[in-house]
Amino acid sequence: MKKIKKTILTIAGLLVALISIFPLFWMALAGFKPKTEVLGYPFKFFPTVWDFSNYNELLHSTEFIRSMGVTFVGAIIFTILVIFVNSMAAYSFARLNFPYKNVLFIYVIMTMFIPSMAILIPSYIVVAKLKMLNTLTVLILPGVASAVNMFLMRQFYLGIPKELEEAAVIDGATKFGIYRHIFLPLSVPVFVLVGIGSFLGFWNSLIWPIMTISDERLYQIMQTLAYFRSAQATEWAMIMAGSTMAAIPTIILFAVFQKYLIEGIKLSGIK
Amino acid sequence: MNNTLKKNDMKTAYIMLLPIVGLLTVFVVIPLLYAIFVSFYQWSFYQDSIFVGFSNYLLVLKDQAFYKAMWTGIKFALIVIPIQFVAAFLFAHLIKNLTAKVGGFVKTSIYIPHVISGVVASIVFMFIYNYNGGLANYIVSLFGSEPIPFLADVKYALGSISLPAIWLGFGFTTLIILAGINDIPDSYYEAAEIDGANTFHKMIFITLPLLKNVFLYVIVVGLTGAIQQFDLAYVMTNGGPLNSTMTPNLFIYTHFKNDPYMGYTISAALLLFVIIGVISALMFRLINSKQVED
Repeated sequence: MKKIKKTILTIAGLLVALISIFPLFWMALAGFKPKTEVLGYPFKFFPTVWDFSNYNELLHSTEFIRSMGVTFVGAIIFTILVIFVNSMAAYSFARLNFPYKNVLFIYVIMTMFIPSMAILIPSYIVVAKLKMLNTLTVLILPGVASAVNMFLMRQFYLGIPKELEEAAVIDGATKFGIYRHIFLPLSVPVFVLVGIGSFLGFWNSLIWPIMTISDERLYQIMQTLAYFRSAQATEWAMIMAGSTMAAIPTIILFAVFQKYLIEGIKLSGIK
Repeated sequence: MNNTLKKNDMKTAYIMLLPIVGLLTVFVVIPLLYAIFVSFYQWSFYQDSIFVGFSNYLLVLKDQAFYKAMWTGIKFALIVIPIQFVAAFLFAHLIKNLTAKVGGFVKTSIYIPHVISGVVASIVFMFIYNYNGGLANYIVSLFGSEPIPFLADVKYALGSISLPAIWLGFGFTTLIILAGINDIPDSYYEAAEIDGANTFHKMIFITLPLLKNVFLYVIVVGLTGAIQQFDLAYVMTNGGPLNSTMTPNLFIYTHFKNDPYMGYTISAALLLFVIIGVISALMFRLINSKQVED
């Protein structure tokens, strides 16, 4: 009886797992179908002939590869900045004493409760006035400072035992030295968590790029996909191949760091 | 000596805080203050602004389209979050009963959609929903029905864009709840079993009350996130048909694109922000007080 129950649960679990990844499988598969088979009758689950031309054409398309490249470079710079700017602040709030500490802390935390939607248009006006439209800077800089990530890192730093620093203090290390040589190396788990979230947020973003970028040399990958979809509405095989390629970096990132990510759900401290 | 050291620490602290404070000021606080300021003006890029008092707000509050967008956002959230939450809660229990190996595979698979963008999800589901030979209509045809215009019919459009939202969020929600369940000591369940509790009893009397905070987090964050959905509505339907999928964020964006006077749009965004804030505060109180009564 117990065994039957276990088997049923296992089958149900695997079924849900497969349904969860099916849309991605279906997308990648459609990219291999010839134009005549991707939609229409008779319905074909697998392509009769595996057609590599869609993926091939995209790999040779300057616009598509450039868009992937520009987004990738932006996402890397963005991620590094997010980690440094927020971890420095997190360290200051966790370990240093200075006048107006509480005021500054509340000032930073307060921004967590301002939804991006409420300030979307005034943010656009600000970056327009700063002459930042159509630059990589406009995509990167506005999102770097993040109260949520700062708070997450600060919680992590508060959990590091003070004894670790004592030896360094006796050796006359500066506060920045302690951050640099003791805190940074210990931060890997929280940096991975914040870093992946930031990279994904940048890579997957749509509304900010379509508002601030009209120069097609700087088109972000999701922007490129969305425009391509509406311009070439019938080229389904090509659109699916493009979506697959745009999703691959995020899936690779997940595959490499999945241990950290699944562990990280506990680390984010929602309890 | 000690004093100079302290002074140095202070300097270090301020230098390390300068980037975050500066960036937040320029890109969050100033835009917010500016939004409040502009909401009292008739403002455009091309003209001098005129002070108009509360008339922008009145204009928004008299606009049927604004209420419709708000209502669409709420409906969307009320379709997505309850389904996602109940499914995730049940499935988290299921995963707990799997062997480590199968459980690991299942957890990995359901996490993957979490890294997928709204744009990719939109495109995949548009393809699946396609009227002429999409997978969904192929399945419909097996039952002998006529194809369904999932995204073009007012009856189906909002439900159809909800499905990818559920798909994107289901796995991650499950894993958060699972992490909470794993924190509950097994002895609680064992004690309940000795008292003759079945699976359902254990869920209701042990898991639910102990995971109050996790649920609160998942539901409030889920609802406020869903109301602000943009990507799915923008790519899949662009708000149509007949504005039936015009979510609040898309409403704001559409106005931004078409209306040179920013005062109205900015006032609408601020009002939505207040309304969403009130809703999440109410939700918070509602769920919280219910737990206390138990």
